[in-house]
Amino acid sequence: MEDYEKLGMKCGLEIHQQLDTHKLFCNCQSELRNEEPEFEIKRKLHAIAGETGDVDVAVKFEAGKDREFTYQGYSQNTCLVELDESPPEMINLESLKITLQVALLLNCEVFPATQIMRKTVIDGSNTSGFQRTVLIARNGFVETAYGRVGIDTVALEEDAARIIKQGDDKITYRLDRLGIPLIEIATAPDIKNPEQVKEVALHIGDILRACKVKRGIGTIRQDINISIKGHPRIEIKGFQEPKMMVVIAEKEIERQIKNIKEKNLIKEVRKANPDGTTSFLRPMPGAARMYPETDLPLLNISRDLINGIKANLPKLRSDIKEELKGHGLNDEMINLIVSENKLDELKELIQINSDSSLIAKMLVLWPKEISIKEKISLDEINKKLTLDVLEIILQAINNKKIQKYDVQAVLLDIVKGKSVNEAIKLEKQSNEDLEKEIIKIIKEKPGLNINAYMGLIMARFKGKVSGKEVIEMLNKYVKS
Amino acid sequence: MVVNVKKVTPGTEVMLHTKKGDFSCVILESPSPEIILVKLKSGYNIGVKEEDILDLKVIRKKEEKETSKKSKGKEDKKKINNDLPNVVLIATGGTISSRLDYKTGGVKWLSNPQELLKVYPELLKICNISKIEVPFMKASENMDSSDWSKISEVAVKHLNDNKVDGIIITHGTDFLAYSAAALGFSLRNLNKPVVLTYSQRSSDRASSDARLNLVCAARAAVSDIAEVMLVGHGNSNDEFCYALRGSKVRKMHTSRRDTFRPINSKPIAKVYPERIEIISEYKKRNNNKVELKNKFSDKVALVKFYPGQDPEILEHYQAKGYRGVVIEMSGLGHVLTGESKNNWLPKLRKVIREGMIVCAAPQTLYGRLDPWVYSVGRELQSTGIIYLEDILPETALVKLSWVLANIKPINQDKVKEAMLTNMAGEFNSRLTEEEFLN
Repeated sequence: MEDYEKLGMKCGLEIHQQLDTHKLFCNCQSELRNEEPEFEIKRKLHAIAGETGDVDVAVKFEAGKDREFTYQGYSQNTCLVELDESPPEMINLESLKITLQVALLLNCEVFPATQIMRKTVIDGSNTSGFQRTVLIARNGFVETAYGRVGIDTVALEEDAARIIKQGDDKITYRLDRLGIPLIEIATAPDIKNPEQVKEVALHIGDILRACKVKRGIGTIRQDINISIKGHPRIEIKGFQEPKMMVVIAEKEIERQIKNIKEKNLIKEVRKANPDGTTSFLRPMPGAARMYPETDLPLLNISRDLINGIKANLPKLRSDIKEELKGHGLNDEMINLIVSENKLDELKELIQINSDSSLIAKMLVLWPKEISIKEKISLDEINKKLTLDVLEIILQAINNKKIQKYDVQAVLLDIVKGKSVNEAIKLEKQSNEDLEKEIIKIIKEKPGLNINAYMGLIMARFKGKVSGKEVIEMLNKYVKS
Repeated sequence: MVVNVKKVTPGTEVMLHTKKGDFSCVILESPSPEIILVKLKSGYNIGVKEEDILDLKVIRKKEEKETSKKSKGKEDKKKINNDLPNVVLIATGGTISSRLDYKTGGVKWLSNPQELLKVYPELLKICNISKIEVPFMKASENMDSSDWSKISEVAVKHLNDNKVDGIIITHGTDFLAYSAAALGFSLRNLNKPVVLTYSQRSSDRASSDARLNLVCAARAAVSDIAEVMLVGHGNSNDEFCYALRGSKVRKMHTSRRDTFRPINSKPIAKVYPERIEIISEYKKRNNNKVELKNKFSDKVALVKFYPGQDPEILEHYQAKGYRGVVIEMSGLGHVLTGESKNNWLPKLRKVIREGMIVCAAPQTLYGRLDPWVYSVGRELQSTGIIYLEDILPETALVKLSWVLANIKPINQDKVKEAMLTNMAGEFNSRLTEEEFLN
């Protein structure tokens, strides 16, 4: 292993995370689609000079290729804004609020006023030829085992269209992803070794997951900026997993050592390959590719807005776990609650009944069991077992209409189609049924001992009655 | 410490010391009094509250741009390719002649329309731009009939020059169709293509529709179609444009690039960057001398009839000295009549008797007026209203403006005869299936 400190390794991380809201500059849904596209549009882009009158080097590189772009769209996910046929609408306030949450959790300073910019991108991934982006905050930090790492900037931007098919002079993009709000977090070049890269990525990931962000493959993308002393900055794009970062950073440093020896020093953007190597993607773009989005006014971020968000910052996973321990839940249940994102529900229900373990089971354990046993999708089950339904069940326990051990059966009845009120009532009837059945069985098979009757009853009611209840009732009729 | 940042020339590179930390940045023009807009090294623009600024150190003063001087030198050396036809470009303003002003963030006119050719050099593979004329630079919503006269005057000079093969006019989109209609009336005996074009996205965007529009406009300007036509995106693709008859075209969308649609007509042609497909009949290139008739009256008005409207509006215009009014009528050509206190019949009879010219155009845009179907139409017809068939209301206004300035003597019969003569393809005697919503 290299001595990274001696090599003067400087490394910064750029994290792009999709937010779970509608699109950033229009009201389209932010969802990726896999069906046949509903329509296609064909476009071309040409090189333009930036603010300084110069064509950006990265822009020139793309413009050299006279390509035709085909854009696939769906009416649900694509409106005239993504088609570059209508000006952008006002920035999505929910995305802005989420970005402010993240910025504050990263200890950043928020700009009181900021301008939405157009970042020239003419590889076709944006129909307009630019990506809208706005700087929200700066100068934050995260703590790691190797020391504090600064957060240079937090920006909010629109995601690009995704490539479906690539030919030499024709590229097909899908517009479903274009315009999905994306938060961009850039760390300072404070990272000193490849292990620390991973730690920072995980830490920022923890903060992001505490906020309303999209989950799953492709919803978070990481780039790293890396250089050693004597080598220009290299940006590496396209990591899917933090664990690949260590390997790639190590290999990139080897490459840079070689470059320095061969005096082959070029500032460029490279792509992360699955085998841990990197390959040339395009020249490094400069500031010349940024110019203002003239269709929108200056974005003012008021003190009131910031204070409101500060007062209600979401808790990080690590903090939540601590809190749940305080409620007396075991680690397994805590992990389930956190990974299923049921914390809000748990808090709400604890107000009604303080048995956190029962509530946790209702929220994350039993629905899963029902799903497996009855072969019903968890989605469908969750649609039926709404917060309201669970509240009614807990109230029924408080009012002694049902017992705790009845809950699993009640949930099953509801999933199978009964209304919650019916499900609760039926349990009551089943008590009368139980008594009748006990009398019947004793008549049919007189003279058995209490345990034998118990077995028969329990088999007949298959978990719908509790052992305790049966014993109590049997005691009335059977003399032991 | 109060620092007067506002005195610093925009474009100056400074180090700003503020209560919120330091910024190495370039000062930009401020959009609001309390906020100082600056460009950071990364290219992002952010606002700093003036009250937060503690100190400022100038790092580099604003450099005078040399690029404009450089480009001026270049443009004198015109490269004329003798194998290519010659086209004159008349720039009148609009989005196509504007670009972003990075200092203010607003949109400004190109200081030099030659810049357009630099952005779209493909144009010069089709024709030489032998001259660029700039009679004025305006957003088209600021234009009036005197601007139609000016454009006509510049155009006719080149149309009657046998070294010029065609004309391209770049124009704002809002009132482009009015100018297109006006040129159809003012340029009599047209001999060469007169092509109007535009853009909906300014040319500082890589996706600007100006590129295809200009290239196709050039293709149309060197064709044998001697018509006033509007050339622009046929649909949302960057694939082909339509050449649309100037008197039969309307802006139908606030922002789409294919905003101009033919109304009650078919396109003249489908224009691709490399070829033209003819769709309907047109007047061929010829050796006529074009006659300039570029007077327009501004004493004409366009009134859209709405439910319950008081006909008093007619007397209002009459009192203001207006000579003619085009009414956008409902349905087949109706306004409010009958028992209502706002019955239009008496007022119409009165103003027409007193010499006002009243024309009718369809509010529906599509279809032809027909006053014979309902009795109300017949009654209205008897007042002397001139029913202008399937004309576009805007074209009707322009035509009335032109007729009143060019026909002598002005009387109801003479004006009616002129208004109903098909002069620039403004009437279509055969409306067909494919001419609706296309």
